[in-house]
Amino acid sequence: MSDPQLTSVNAASLAGDNIFKVFGPKPARALEMAVAGVSRDDILRETGNTVAVRDVSFDVVPGETFVVMGLSGSGKSTLIRCIAQLVELTQGSVSLNGRDLTAMSEKELRDVRRNNMSMVFQHFGLFPHRRVIDNVAYGLEVQGIDRAARHKRALEILDIVGLGGWGDHYPQELSGGMQQRVGLGRALAVEPDVLFFDEPFSALDPLIRRDMQNELLRLQADMGRTIVFITHDFDEAIKLGDRIAIMKDGEFDQVGTAHELLSNPATDYVREFTEDVSRTKVLTAGHVARAEKSGDPMATIIVGAEQPIDTILGTLLSTDEPVAVRGTNGELIGVVDRSAVIELVGGT
Amino acid sequence: MIERVSRAPKWGIWALCVAVAVGLQVAFASSESFPAGLDHTFSDPIDDFGRWQQSARRTNVLFTGFFTPLSDMVGWALDTVESVLLWVPWYVLPAAIFVVVARTKGWVVGLIPAAVMVYPGLVGLWEVTIDTFALMIISVSIAVALGVPLGVWGALNTRVEKSIRPVLDAMQTVPAPVYFLPMLMLFGIGRVPATFATVIYALPPVVRLTTLGIREVPPAAVEASEMFGATKRQTMTRVQLPMALPTIMTGVSQTIMMALGIVVLATLLGAGGLGQEIMETLSQRRTGRGFATGLAVVAIAIVLDRLGRALAVTDRSKLPGRKVMAGAAVAIVGLTVFGLASGITEFPEVWSVKIFDPIDNGVVWIRDNLRWLTRGFNDLVVADFYVPVRDLLTETIAWPVLLWIGTFVGWRIGGVRLAVFSLSMMVAVGLIGMWNQSLDTLTQVVAAVILSVAIAVPVGVWAGRNPRVEAFLGPILDALQTIPSLVYIIPAVIFFTVGVVPGIVASVLYAIVPGIRITALGIREVPAESIEAAQLFGATRRQTMLGVRLPLAAPTIMAGINQVIMMVLAMVIISGLVGGGALGFAAVSAVKRSDLGIGFEVGFAIVAIAMILDRTTAAVADRLRPVAGH
Ligand SMILES: Nc1ncnc2c1ncn2[C@@H]1O[C@H](COP(=O)(O)OP(=O)(O)OP(=O)(O)O)[C@@H](O)[C@H]1O
Ligand SMILES: [Mg+2]
Repeated sequence: MSDPQLTSVNAASLAGDNIFKVFGPKPARALEMAVAGVSRDDILRETGNTVAVRDVSFDVVPGETFVVMGLSGSGKSTLIRCIAQLVELTQGSVSLNGRDLTAMSEKELRDVRRNNMSMVFQHFGLFPHRRVIDNVAYGLEVQGIDRAARHKRALEILDIVGLGGWGDHYPQELSGGMQQRVGLGRALAVEPDVLFFDEPFSALDPLIRRDMQNELLRLQADMGRTIVFITHDFDEAIKLGDRIAIMKDGEFDQVGTAHELLSNPATDYVREFTEDVSRTKVLTAGHVARAEKSGDPMATIIVGAEQPIDTILGTLLSTDEPVAVRGTNGELIGVVDRSAVIELVGGT
Repeated sequence: MIERVSRAPKWGIWALCVAVAVGLQVAFASSESFPAGLDHTFSDPIDDFGRWQQSARRTNVLFTGFFTPLSDMVGWALDTVESVLLWVPWYVLPAAIFVVVARTKGWVVGLIPAAVMVYPGLVGLWEVTIDTFALMIISVSIAVALGVPLGVWGALNTRVEKSIRPVLDAMQTVPAPVYFLPMLMLFGIGRVPATFATVIYALPPVVRLTTLGIREVPPAAVEASEMFGATKRQTMTRVQLPMALPTIMTGVSQTIMMALGIVVLATLLGAGGLGQEIMETLSQRRTGRGFATGLAVVAIAIVLDRLGRALAVTDRSKLPGRKVMAGAAVAIVGLTVFGLASGITEFPEVWSVKIFDPIDNGVVWIRDNLRWLTRGFNDLVVADFYVPVRDLLTETIAWPVLLWIGTFVGWRIGGVRLAVFSLSMMVAVGLIGMWNQSLDTLTQVVAAVILSVAIAVPVGVWAGRNPRVEAFLGPILDALQTIPSLVYIIPAVIFFTVGVVPGIVASVLYAIVPGIRITALGIREVPAESIEAAQLFGATRRQTMLGVRLPLAAPTIMAGINQVIMMVLAMVIISGLVGGGALGFAAVSAVKRSDLGIGFEVGFAIVAIAMILDRTTAAVADRLRPVAGH
């Protein structure tokens, strides 16, 4: 599990500045209207243009998993394709480690793609005419790495993503979950600094999806890459994301940690999303811990601050005593007790 | 609700049409045929050019620097392929065919074409067949080498595709032998112009399907490739082309079949091979040998069809591994070396089956004993239809009347555009002096179309209603469709010798296949609900057929008739080979005498007739199509 080549942290920072993307016949006019704040429907009716992304800015720090979540048609795919430069931005810029991607020549961009970023696609985007091993090795192949070296690397990667022994098969002989493992392996093989995921697991059935999420968490724990992850599933967003951006009609309504979104929704739209979410999954012991004024309590039971409430529910309910919450360095943060949890589950 | 657009002819307008026609007839009754005012305007410069190129062939840099070297190169390639195929032991070709087909279709299926390939050897036609095979290999290779890049270009550039497409469409309505003349001009006579005519004729499917295949590659795969930093070229060669390969191969297999159709016809250009063998034996009345040669062409068609289908399967996960293929390759090389070492290369003479004489005798017997039938049919077609109609059109009715009627009908059916188009095409044909020959051709075409429709529509209706009939006919029709058009004149000549009738009969044989196919399709496509509704109201079977099925299938059947007409027109020149087809006959003699000017006029007239009939019948089919609601 701890392949040395995956653990070498080489994450990058990624930033977007006032990104606009307009599809349609007269983008200039539509862009003007979008900047002026005319609504998406009105612009479509008047000019026939779709404003898919509108004035989006963000900063992703190295090693962070940044999740963009929104309903179908909200512009998530368009945004990630703008970031990856697969479509041309109508306005705005994207920079990777401070280098402006939008200003690059075709060749420079190609080099960045070869060395610094890669992507996992919703419908896998695998090459059906290549064996699994050659799918995984594709990024290395276009870089001109010789066959023996790239196959060696691809075999290592196949082991890492749990597909050892499947190299000689063709993708269509694999199940959906396995195919996306190939997609993941293909993206990891080039050791990118930034990984883009466009709803990679939404074509999979729920059990496999959960497996894949866990797999990604495991890999990310090892490799600590910068990740931009698109999803329409809030549970997935909470599970994987360090920060979550809620996207609506091409705009970010709010960006923040799961806790921030839940406890402080900026708009009704965000509130609607968060309403159905089980708080015990999102909030950690640290979030609900009440500071204990009377020094170190004599609590015999101790939990970590980063543990979600639902994982310590049994512990809390099995005792009448307050439970101590400690941080990663063992320092005392506070205590939680039954009443806090009951308030949380029943409450606002 | 679905309702037919009501456009009942207004009787007043038709009465006017007739009145004008009568008026024109009276006014022009004694006039000559169409004044061919431009008779020499186009043909003379073309003749001059023809004469010029003959003298310029040795001096002008266009020829010495381009066409002659190109011609030499292709000639050399043809010679090389042919001598290699004759140099290796004869069984290597069937073995190679077996390997290619068995690779994707299993060894049982692979045995069929391999066995069929032996047939030409058995009847003593091995070398002639190899001749034709070499021509096929070179033509198809050139067509693919040109067509794939062109298709790729079209896929990458919409503007290019938009300008290529109408050219490809036009190339498919032009009867194949029309390509012979320009080739004749550029390359003289022989196998090289035949090769290029074949390349041009067979090019459209591979171009079309390459463009289609590349367009059909899922954008996700292309994006993924781009995302990994692949250059455009890397994406094309590593992702787009390989993923489009099955579609491209389908195009290649269509190209192969089209190429075969024209390669045997290319005998007109002196290309030799099986086509020439057929023509010679038929003109020498060696029917048995002609028949056996026709079967050799059919054999090649089967082999090539199977090869094409086998190539079009490219699902790699189901193919045998590299080791098996390497083993097969080694086996073939081994067989070759063994054959060469032991001197077994030529097809063993002793195996030859003498089937010609029995066939000759059989044919003579059939001809003698069926004379009452063939004679009767011949008279019916010639004396009761062809001669009176032709004379009516060319002698009795004055040409302005025909112009008027043609234009008027075009207007009623297809509006002003069709009327203007038909009128200008007719005038052009008249002006270049092809008026009477065109009407003569038209009469024969109409006869063939009437006969074809009379056979194809009832059979098609039967097949459309009865799945068992359809299942039985399916493979037969499949097989018939792969047979090159030239072969169809063999049975026609056997029964009707030469003249107008064998041409018509061959055209009918060739054209009924699509007619049956499309009619059956139309009948089968009639929604079950409509039929059930009619039955619910107590309609008899007959009423259901006449009142519901046929009207609902009418647009599709009309499309089938359009196809029949186009196929009959494609046979005009082949009819010319046996003395029929008027324009076809003129085309054949023009090519034989290298008479370029006339050849072009004839070619233009045939294309003009084809385009008028095509657009008119397509417009009729459109008008029959039901339109939803008001
Ligand atoms: N190439 C295009 N041309 C025109 N409009 C487009 C194009 N791509 C996307 N759009 C439009 O932009 C809007 C946003 O689409 P996008 O695919 O980014 O949404 P999404 O959030 O990814 O949705 P989903 O969850 O369905 O994938 C939609 O209205 C869509 O119709
Ligand atoms: Mg999307």
